[in-house]
Amino acid sequence: MNRALTLGVDAGSRQVKLAIGAGRDIAFTAMIDTVQFYLACRDGGSDSHNGGSDSRNHGPKSGRDLDIYRLAQLAGAPRWSHVVSTGYGRNNVAVAGGRAIPEIMAHAAGAVSQTGLSHFTLVDLGGQDTKVISVRDGMVDDFVMNDKCAAGSGRYLENIAATLGASLDTLGQCWENPVKLSNTCAIFGESEVVGLVSDGASAQSILAGANASVVARLAPMIRRYRPKIIVASGGVAKNMAVRKLLEIETGVEVITPAEPQLNGAIGCVLG
Amino acid sequence: MNKIGITTTIPAEIVFASGGAPVDLNNIFVTDIKRSEYVEQAEVEGFPRTICGWIKGMYSACLDHKIPKVIAVTGGDCSNTHVLMEIYRMRGVETVPFNYPYGRNRQSMQSELALLRDSLGASEEASERWRARLNRIRRKLDMVDLLTWRDGKVTGFENHLLLVSSSDFDGDPDGFETKIDRFLEEARQRPEIDAPVRLGMIGIPPIMEGLHEFMEMTGAHCLYNEVARQFTMPFGGETLAEQYLAYTYPYQIGPRIDDIQTEIERRQIDGIVHYVQSFCHRQMEDLIFRERLDIPILTIEGDAPRAIDARTKIRLESFIRMLAQRKGAAV
Repeated sequence: MNRALTLGVDAGSRQVKLAIGAGRDIAFTAMIDTVQFYLACRDGGSDSHNGGSDSRNHGPKSGRDLDIYRLAQLAGAPRWSHVVSTGYGRNNVAVAGGRAIPEIMAHAAGAVSQTGLSHFTLVDLGGQDTKVISVRDGMVDDFVMNDKCAAGSGRYLENIAATLGASLDTLGQCWENPVKLSNTCAIFGESEVVGLVSDGASAQSILAGANASVVARLAPMIRRYRPKIIVASGGVAKNMAVRKLLEIETGVEVITPAEPQLNGAIGCVLG
Repeated sequence: MNKIGITTTIPAEIVFASGGAPVDLNNIFVTDIKRSEYVEQAEVEGFPRTICGWIKGMYSACLDHKIPKVIAVTGGDCSNTHVLMEIYRMRGVETVPFNYPYGRNRQSMQSELALLRDSLGASEEASERWRARLNRIRRKLDMVDLLTWRDGKVTGFENHLLLVSSSDFDGDPDGFETKIDRFLEEARQRPEIDAPVRLGMIGIPPIMEGLHEFMEMTGAHCLYNEVARQFTMPFGGETLAEQYLAYTYPYQIGPRIDDIQTEIERRQIDGIVHYVQSFCHRQMEDLIFRERLDIPILTIEGDAPRAIDARTKIRLESFIRMLAQRKGAAV
């Protein structure tokens, strides 16, 4: 791969996702805990590792600019010449020398590239938010995002699994006999779980209930686009139970790209 | 002139005819440096967190600005106002109800106007004279609106701020008219705003700050503020009853949608931003707009008087970029 490489950065609420490549060829990917990423970048570092031949300023910036080159040292990334970023942080924190694109665009581009499809409904299930994007002719036609809280997000599922001492792998297997969870609040959901355990509900049925409540919250957002195919991305798309419940709920095939969690970063490489 | 608070647009003509000066409590709340404290203060006094920020802000602002009397709209706006009136009275503020008749019936409207005149001690003749006086200013606001969407000389925020002020004319119609005259003169000299995306805003006036400015920074000109424009009574009318029956906001949603559709076409709007207020019953209207309006709609929600947050920015940016892509324009 001799073409100039682009570093795509998707600064999510839980993980910062990196992809380096040219067009659809991705040469390197990495994920870093968001807090660690900001701490490492904020603390600054040498600019000797990377950078193209132009005169861009590679050093740590003052204020809230991130030193992405410091980050590269952490991740052991190959050389790149352009940076494109997206994700939560991008309105507050600029990646030094980088161009920022809206998340919706990045995710749609990533999904088009990864699946080869041009008409689909993309469901991005992230750590703190959920996006449903209608893609037509390979372009964003419309989108909707969940409301402000983390209800029904990846963080909610993590909390429920942690409360029950279950791994995310176990969580992803539980879809049968779900108990009805009334509260999808990422915080108050925990106390509801404690109540259900004391009432004798099994851990599997509670985990299935958590997965089902995420899907129940998602379904009205998806239905407005009357999808023929659903593409699921984001960390929660790795959860088999959520995918299965989503298929049952919508009656539509759910496709997961090869790298669901890196989808936004891959979209940045293209963007 | 005696200051008389108002909870939303009411027939200001009658207030002026009574020798009073209307003060839109929403405006004095949201433009006050203490706006956040106002909301907190109301919560400290026991207003629930799950009640609209406008209600809480109006409550504290009214007391802080020592407004002795408030005209509260009991039909056609917000049912929270009913209890707000009770609390005002408990705090020694005199309240006068005004009701937009849901059936939009002429006779009912005439009797509501008569009740308001009687409560304030205004004659019908004086009220109609004030209609003619204020109409002169209202038609100048039409010009502000025209300079916004037809000529691209006025920003979305300026349009919002001037049009929304026609609920109370700053309590000083002469001063307000002079302000508009000066603004028009200055705005006509400006270069045209160059923005690839033409946006419209529908829904109640937003409580958050920087919304219009952010849209314009991102490549969109907001050239339609639906409810603010309705405050100017764009359809006029030969009598006060006719004028306030033509006002679209307080009644059934059908004529309001017709008005929005007409303006979308006339102004060649690419997309609509529907602003909804947290805990407001009007949030449900989103469902109707989405079903009835054949145009991309972005719904954004605000709860408190603070700068727009990162999530709202992400949504707006993506929406504007999407609309630009559809037109084949770059932002």
